[in-house]
Parts: sequence; structure tokens; C-alpha cells
Amino acid sequence: MSRDLDEILKQVWPRVRKKHLFPELPNPEMGGGESSVGLDIRAKKIFISREFVSEMSPALDTEKVIEGLLDHAVSHYLSCPWDFATHLKLYAKAKDVLKNKDMALKATDYFMDVVADTHCVSRKDTPIPKIYGSAKKGGALDEAIHALYQRIWGLDLGVKGYEEISRKLSRIPYLDRNTWQESIRRFSKAVKFLLEMEEDLGGTDGQSPMGSHSLQQYSSQELEEGLKDLALEVGTPYEFKKIVQDFEDEILQATQAGGEAMGLGPGQGLDADTIYYMKLAENYLLPIRKLPMEKSGSLYPHHHTPWEVGKPYQEIDPWTSFGKIMPGITQTWQRFEGEVFGKGEGTPDCIILIDSSGSMTDPKQHLSHAVLGAGCASDAYLRNDAQVAVYNFSDARSGGQKILSYSRSRKMIYRTLCHYFGGGTRLLVEKIDGLQTDKVPDIFLITDMQITNLENLIQYFNDCKNRVTAVHIGDNKHVKNFRSAMALRKNVEIYAVEKKEDIPRIVLGKVKDYLYSPGS
Amino acid sequence: MKNPFLDFQSVPCRKKEIPLERIVRARKEIMDRLSEGYLRLVEEEVKDLVWLVEHSHVVRTYSAAVSAIQDLQYDQDDIEEFCAELDNANAFPYMISGPAGIYLSALINNAAEEHILLRLSEYERTFHFLGYRLPEGKTLVLQGNLGDFIGAGLCGGRLMVEGTAGNWCGAGMTGGEILVTGYTGQKTGEWMRGGEIHVDGPIGGFGRARFGGKIYQRGKLVVPHESE
Repeated sequence: MSRDLDEILKQVWPRVRKKHLFPELPNPEMGGGESSVGLDIRAKKIFISREFVSEMSPALDTEKVIEGLLDHAVSHYLSCPWDFATHLKLYAKAKDVLKNKDMALKATDYFMDVVADTHCVSRKDTPIPKIYGSAKKGGALDEAIHALYQRIWGLDLGVKGYEEISRKLSRIPYLDRNTWQESIRRFSKAVKFLLEMEEDLGGTDGQSPMGSHSLQQYSSQELEEGLKDLALEVGTPYEFKKIVQDFEDEILQATQAGGEAMGLGPGQGLDADTIYYMKLAENYLLPIRKLPMEKSGSLYPHHHTPWEVGKPYQEIDPWTSFGKIMPGITQTWQRFEGEVFGKGEGTPDCIILIDSSGSMTDPKQHLSHAVLGAGCASDAYLRNDAQVAVYNFSDARSGGQKILSYSRSRKMIYRTLCHYFGGGTRLLVEKIDGLQTDKVPDIFLITDMQITNLENLIQYFNDCKNRVTAVHIGDNKHVKNFRSAMALRKNVEIYAVEKKEDIPRIVLGKVKDYLYSPGS
Repeated sequence: MKNPFLDFQSVPCRKKEIPLERIVRARKEIMDRLSEGYLRLVEEEVKDLVWLVEHSHVVRTYSAAVSAIQDLQYDQDDIEEFCAELDNANAFPYMISGPAGIYLSALINNAAEEHILLRLSEYERTFHFLGYRLPEGKTLVLQGNLGDFIGAGLCGGRLMVEGTAGNWCGAGMTGGEILVTGYTGQKTGEWMRGGEIHVDGPIGGFGRARFGGKIYQRGKLVVPHESE
């Protein structure tokens, strides 16, 4: 029987692929698993439960069961949820209504099933309705969803009752992708009482015969992209955390192979705030040329120009002049100054000074422009093989400071940037001095300038040779003092930030100035 | 040469019309018409800049609401969904609570169903004037905490509030029954002419000007008082 199933699968899969216009999915496999659930999808690979198929076989032709299960799985890939970010956003809406992780997961699973299956039923010839008609029903919610299918597909699946709930659910435009967020909110609201009833009767373990949708179905690359999109879409790190922390184990598990790329690793908890800023900063990528060019001072022949009377003879190119000295025929070499790599090859390291005093935004609650800006800057240096040190300060004298020495670990850098003290503002210039190296690193300061010992910092910047980019959030009299004190310093550039969009733009511009040669 | 697109020719890609599409289309048409009627009503009301709760004003608004929904076929699900639309701040440009409640009451009173249940507990918006002029033969069940003038002008219907009601509950009612499982606010039963109000929780205060009707608290008659 087992071998038969493998062979049937091999015959059915090309047919299903063709029906769905050849989706880019790996070949499915028959697997073990539970008899109550037909499918398991891991990293896009579909596994079909032998037990489920065997159990369904007396009621339905084996080929049809396999074809229906494959149709269902492919529809998820092609229509809903489509990607990890959409999956998370749907879950977030369901969670808003249901306030419970298990219930929200179950509602999201069912919603995605309804969308994917309806999409398939409305466009393809599929045995999905026959599977639903023959499979064992999981519970009250499962029966209600079957009643919904009956109503919206216009087929008899053998379900009685659930008139009111199926009528309410049938009004939702499942096939309109643009309204999915509102649709799942309405869906969750409608099924809430059934989920609560199931929970009262002993949990929400029962699931759709087609199986549930774990995050394992996504590849680690999809997870990374999804988190990036999500960070851009949600308004605050708090919202991001609210969604992501529910999947801490799943994301860690799924990304362990990815390791450092995501800033995660085995044995460490998921720091949603850090991930939020890391992913958000990725949306503002900075193109940097690695090696700045300098004029070499020597001339080299660049192109030909016709020789004219009065022009020097030594520049004549005899090979292209046909051995003649005649205006219009004779060619001379035009010489240009060459460019070579400068002395300071590569990109300098960077010391990031970030203010996390009480007057700054708490990066865990709201979007902190300071952390985002510093993150964009650190990413730019890291991408250019430089190292980044961080001095996060609040009231440094009473311990409100955190120092990260030169590192290329993005995770460590962002963790230090995201730390919030919320106290007074006083920094210790000797700590900045301790981070100086022979290679003269760049300094990136981001603060609201309400620093108690600002004059010490001004004095330090007046004495140092580093290139300094100072970004101030908002405007106040300290900013004016700082600006006037630094007015004559050529190595200090000051930028103001008024709104969210300013920071990445300024950081991009500034670092571009540093790392591109003028005029390039 | 073999046609490289030959494989695709046999793929059935005809779109079938399933009942869902018909249901969603019909629902959208009704919701559009309900929204249109509501917006027309509100645009008329905002011309006065201030919406005053005056008897004549309320009556005029109700009449306008009734004429706005004439010839419209809708059911309880549509009303419930329209409540959700009203709760959604982005759906309508004007948010005036009074006309919204009166418009909903007009929808309820003119619906085909005799028994209507509205689940309002999860909405952020507070609805006022629900159950206004609920006629005889209609039962309206409202779940959630409601605003002012609930069951105002009730004329024979049965209004059950599974939650609380604000001030002026049952104001000016002429008949019928209001049952509130929670509390009611100030001026409960003001200008009441007939019918009964039953409150299971505390009553913030009774209306002074009353011309009939009875108010019960936890099954005990409290208005009119034995001494009155």
C-alpha cells in the first residue's frame, strides 16, 4: 500500500502542478503523521499523511484524496497567506479581536483555509469539497466552517445546522485580498463564541482535516523578509513586539540555521525590540563605495584629438596619424589626471554615541529616530567591513552608560543601541577617548543635545581629529550653542531631525559624503 | 517544431461563479445604500452645526431616516454590519452620535424580522438613541454598554439591554417594556407616559417630569412610589 501511495503521488503531482500553472514548489512526499490531519508543510515541501489517505480511501478514491490535499497546499502557496508577513498580519488582526494566542492561531488557520480553498474551488476543478464532505469533523468550529463551505460553494457537504454563523461568515469577501485585514477581523468576531466554547470544553486542540499552518512552512529567508516588511508596516516597536513575541519559539527554531544573519542564535531569547530596529533599518539600505579614490597627480593618455598647428609635437600618436603631419589627419593624445586609492584605504571604524536619557524616546514603546538613525549608520559601516563601537549614555556618572567595544556583531550593536536608561544626560569624554584607535575612527553622535556637560563634549570635538557627524533630535538652545561652537570645525557636520523620514536621509547623505569621493 | 505553450492549452482556467460572489455582491450593494442614506441624513444634520436633542428635532431626524431607507431590502445581519461600519472611524467623515442611533433605530423598526439581536459590546463607539420608537411586536436585544436615550419614545416594543444604559433611558416612552441587566443613568423614565422599565442594577436617578408608566428595580416597583 505504501509503495502504491508513492507511485500515485508521483502520477498526481505533475497533474496538480499543471493545473496550478507550475508553481515553484519541491516535489511532495508521503509522510507519517496523524490520521486526523492530511498535510504538513515544512520549508515549502508538502508532506501528505499516509494514515489520513488510507483512512479516507474507503469513502473517496485515493488519487482524489491526494489531488485534493495537494490542491489545498498549492492554493496556500499561491493565494493565501502567500508570504510570512501576510500570515503575521492576519494573525495580529485575529489576536486583536480574540486576545488569546491559541484562539487567534486557530481563527487565522481557518480563515486562510477558507480563502485558499475557495480560491481553488472557484477557479479549478478540484476534489477539495469531496474531502471536506468525507473527512471527520473536528468540533463545533470545524462544523461551522463546513456549513460555511456549503453555503459559499453551493455544495452539500452533509452538515446540518449552524445557519446563523454560516450566514454571517458567508458575507465576508474572502477572495478580495485588499480587504483581508478587515475580513479576518470580522471572521474572528463571528467565530469567537465557538472558540470560547471549545476552549471551555477542553482547549482548542482540534484542527481542520487539512492541518494547521505552523511557521515551519516558511524558509528562513522568507521569515527574514517577512519580519522586514512587518517592521515597516507596524507603527511602533510595541506593536511589532506584540505580534512577534507570540512566535518566539517558532522563529528561533526556524532561524537557527540562519544564525547571525537575523541576529539570533541558539540558546538566546528573541529580543523583539532589537529585531524591530534591525529589520526596519534594512529598509533604508545605504550604497557605499568601499574605497575612496584620490587624484594621483600624474597624467596618462586618455583619448585622441585632431592635431592643430601650434599644438606640441611630442603628443602626436604616429600609429593613428598615417605617418603624416597634417592638421585634421594627425592625431594627438589628450592626457587626463589619473585616480588611485587614497592613503586611508577602506572605510574607517565608527564610534556611535547615542543618548538614551529621559528626554529621548523610549525605543521599546515608540519608534526612536535616534536608534533607527544610529542603526542605519552602523549598518553602513558594517557593510563596508568596518567595525562599530557604541557608547550609550544617560547619566553616565551614576552608572547610566553602556559601552560596546569595536564589534562586527550586528546583534550586539543593536542590543546596545536599543538599551534605554531614561535618566539624566551626562557623558564621560574619557570613555569616548578610550574607544579611540590609531586609525582615527569616525564619530556619530545622536542626541537632543540636552547634555549637562555639553561644553566638555564641545571641547573634546574641538581637540579631536575624527570626522564627526552630529545629529540632533528637535531644536533647543543647547543645539544653538553646539552649532555656534562647532561652526568653524571642518570635520564636524551637524544635522537636524524634525520627522521620521529625516534620519535615514541624513545618515545616508552624510555617510555618502564621507565614503564617496567628491564628484563621483 | 513543438509549440512550447502546448502544455498550457488543456489547463482549465475558466472561472466558475460560486454563491459567495453573489452573496458578497448583494451585501455590498445594501451596505453602500445604507451608508449613502446615512451620509445624506448626517449632511443634512451638520448644517445646523450643533445637534440638539430636542423633541421636534429628533422627530424630524427620524422621519428623514425612515424616508432614506424606504424601499431598501435588508436584514439583521446588515444592521449589525452597519453598526460595525459606524464603529470604524475611517468609514464615515462625520461622527455624530445622535443621528447614528436614530438611523439605526429606523433600520431596526422597519426591518422584516420581529426579533433582532445586536452585539455591540466590542465596539469602541457608544451608541445613543437605540430602540427609539420601537413599535409593538418587535423585540430588540442589545448586548453591551450603551449611551443615552436608550428606548426613548418606545411605543409598544420590547427592548432588552444586556449591559448598561446611560441617562434618559426610556425617556418619553408611551408603551412597551425595557429590561436592563446593568445600571441606568440619570433621569431614567423622564417624560414617560406608559410602559415599564425594569432595571436589575442601580438607577442613577429618576426623571422628575413623568406622566405615567412604571419603573421597577430588581423586581420591586420604585416609580411611582406608594406615596405618590
